[in-house]
Amino acid sequence: MKLFLLTIGLIIFTMPVQARPVSYPGGITAMSMNDADKHSLHLHYSPTAKTSLGYKLEYWRDRDFTINALQMNNLLKRWNNKDSQANFYLKSGVGIAYSDAGAFDHEKDAAAFTGIALDWENRRFFTSYENRYTEAGDIADFFTQKARVGIAPYIGDYGDLHTWIMLQVDHNPERSDPVTFTPLVRMFKDVHLGEAGISDNGDILLNYVIRY
Amino acid sequence: MRKIVLTLAMVIITGPAFAAGGVVTAHVDGMVCDFCARSLEKLFGKEEAVEAIKIDLDGKTVTINLKDGQELSDERIEEIVSYSGYDIEKIDRAE
Repeated sequence: MKLFLLTIGLIIFTMPVQARPVSYPGGITAMSMNDADKHSLHLHYSPTAKTSLGYKLEYWRDRDFTINALQMNNLLKRWNNKDSQANFYLKSGVGIAYSDAGAFDHEKDAAAFTGIALDWENRRFFTSYENRYTEAGDIADFFTQKARVGIAPYIGDYGDLHTWIMLQVDHNPERSDPVTFTPLVRMFKDVHLGEAGISDNGDILLNYVIRY
Repeated sequence: MRKIVLTLAMVIITGPAFAAGGVVTAHVDGMVCDFCARSLEKLFGKEEAVEAIKIDLDGKTVTINLKDGQELSDERIEEIVSYSGYDIEKIDRAE
């Protein structure tokens, strides 16, 4: 019940995450994401502006297991307004999980994950929410969610260095500290986007995205 | 003589209306993020008729400079903008 209420609360208060899971038609994107929960590398190709297909490698630090997966992201709905844009995505993947930690001895299981992501932004404010359910046989089975709010301290024009100050809230019910707060700075210019932050537990967040 | 003057006058007055090239300004809804608006630059840049484009996030416009003798229809511009994931509000043309 507490999990349910927190989920609803995050959705209501933050609505819509992250650098876009779908690019422009023909676009190739590489994302390296590192935070308290996991390290991941995601390479995807977008045949249309509504779909991306790619490869995802994840290493979950606390649970000490990896997932190699094929991931598909779908833009289910986009709202283009005069001064803002909002997006609703479905992000899913299937692959193989591997663990050699604890009781596991070179354990391999089929793995799948799915979740939704929503974001809204104008040139000054940003808000996002995403969740995910991960099933990896005997190795893992868990739900995570996170939300962000952000503000741009200045409004840059096209081609400028853009800077955002953001706060990320992660909810991972199975961790000893299920809710963490991570203040971070997002900067992007041209096709490069970088994020750096540190959580209230001292965990470092470092993300980098490049779009070809 | 009168015929020559009349012909010259017609060429001078109507000439620009027949000339291709020029500048087209597309007003685009949803264009709020530099990182995402790169798609417009990439896709318009692939068009044979396009000399250069300028994106103005403040004005929410894409200004397209066409090559001399080249044209880009409103339909094609709408198609590219839509293909990039945005919506066209209107298109202005200036010669």
